[in-house]
Amino acid sequence: MNGGSEVVSYLIVLLFLTSLLMNFTDIPQRIQLQRFSSFVRRKLYVLEEMESDARRKAVAYLSAAGIREASKVLDGFVDNFFLIRPVEMEPTDIIKRLRHLIRTRESSVRDYVRRVLGTAERSVQYSVETVLEVVSVLRLLNKLVRHYLELGLKHNNWILVMQLAIQMPEILEIAKAYANSVDAFTSGMPIGDGAGPLVAKMLVGWGEPRREIVEGTDLYEAEVEGRKVYAIKASGPGSNVGWPGEALEKLVGELGGAVDRIITVDAALKLESEETGEVAYGTGAAIGDLGPEKIAIERVAGNYSIPLDAVVVKMSEAEALGPLTKKIHEGVVKAYEVVRRTIVEKVREGGTVIVVGVGNTVGIR
Amino acid sequence: MLVQQVNPLLILLLAALIMLSLMALMPWLFSLSRSRSKAVREEVVELVGCPKCGHEYSRKYERGSYVGKEVGACPRGDGPLVVKAIYVERHEGPE
Repeated sequence: MNGGSEVVSYLIVLLFLTSLLMNFTDIPQRIQLQRFSSFVRRKLYVLEEMESDARRKAVAYLSAAGIREASKVLDGFVDNFFLIRPVEMEPTDIIKRLRHLIRTRESSVRDYVRRVLGTAERSVQYSVETVLEVVSVLRLLNKLVRHYLELGLKHNNWILVMQLAIQMPEILEIAKAYANSVDAFTSGMPIGDGAGPLVAKMLVGWGEPRREIVEGTDLYEAEVEGRKVYAIKASGPGSNVGWPGEALEKLVGELGGAVDRIITVDAALKLESEETGEVAYGTGAAIGDLGPEKIAIERVAGNYSIPLDAVVVKMSEAEALGPLTKKIHEGVVKAYEVVRRTIVEKVREGGTVIVVGVGNTVGIR
Repeated sequence: MLVQQVNPLLILLLAALIMLSLMALMPWLFSLSRSRSKAVREEVVELVGCPKCGHEYSRKYERGSYVGKEVGACPRGDGPLVVKAIYVERHEGPE
C-alpha cells in the first residue's frame, strides 16, 4: 500500500517538474526545432533523389540528342538564365518591359541550346530547352528548401522551420510533378497541359497548319457548320507553348477586326473538391502566362469589341505536367463539344471565329 | 484484493501514459494504413482514326508517335488514318 503511494508521489513530483520545464523554458521549442528539422531533412533527401534522377534522365536524353558533354551543358544551364522581373512601382509600360525581358531570356536560352545542339529539328530543340528548364526548377526547389532550413537552424527560428515542415508535402508534390514530367518531355508524349492544343487540333480535323503565323505558333483554318474557324496553337510536336497573344493580335489585324468571337481553351488548376477532366466555360482569356500574352489577347478583344470566351479543362498541377491521362482526354472531348456548341450557337452563319488552344503542345503536331 | 491495493492515481497515470504513447504512434499508424493502396498498372495507348468517316481504334503507343501523325490509309474510305490522341490508361489491380 505504502509502496504504491510512494511511486505516485514520485510521479506527481516528476510531472510537476516536467510541467515547469515545458511551460517556462525554451526546451519544447528546441525539441520542436529538432523534430521539424529532422522531418525537413528526410524530405530533402527525397527532393535530392528526385533532382538526381531527373538529371540522369536529362543527361541521357541530351546525349541521345547528340550533345557532347551533356552533364557540363546541364550544369551550365541550371543555375543561370534567371529572369529579374521589371520594376512594378512604376507600372507605365510594364507589360512592354516584361515582354522584352521574357523574349530576351528565351532568345538567350535558344542560342545556348542551338550552340550545343548544332543543327537539329526544331521540335528536338524545344524539347531540350524544356528538359533543361525542368531540371533547373528542381534545382531551385532544392536550394530554396535547404536555404530556409539552414536559416532557421542558424537563428534557432523554430517557427520558420515549422512552416517549412508544414509546407514540405506541397513542395514535394510540385517537385514530383516536375520530376515525372521529364519522362513525358523526353519520350515526346502529350501532357495534361496540352488540352488546349488538342482541342484546337480536333476542331481542324487533325489537319496540317496553313502557316506559321508568328515564330513557334501555327495557324489553322477550318469550317464548322458554315462558320469560318481560325485555330491558333503552338507548333508541335516538340515541347513548345508558342506566342498565342502575339499570334492573335496579328491575325485579328490581318482580318481587319472582322471577327465575331474569340474562344480561348486551356488547362486550369482544379480545386481539391473538383474532379479531373471537368470542363467549365466563362468569359476572359484562359491563359496562365506571366502577363504579356494574356494582356495581348484581352487588348485585341477589347480594341475590336470582340466577345472573348474561355473554356477550361480542370486538372491538378501534377496532372498538367504529367502524361495525358484518359480522364483528361475525356475532358478534352467535352471541351471540344463545348467549343463547337459555342461556335454554332453564338456565331452567325458565315461569321468568323478564332479558337486559341493555349498550352504545351509536346506530342501534338 | 489486488485492485484494492493499487492506488487509483497510479492507474490514472498509467492510462495517461498509454494514451500519450498511442497519440505519438498515431502518424505511423496512419501512414501504415495509407501505404496499403491498390496496385495500379499503366498503359500508354494511342487513338488512331479517320477524320473523314469517323472509324477509330486504339492501339499500344509507339515511341516517336504524335497526335496528327499519318499512320496509313483508312480501310473503310479514302481518308488518311491519323493519331487522334495519346494518353495513359490506368487499371487498378495486380501488376
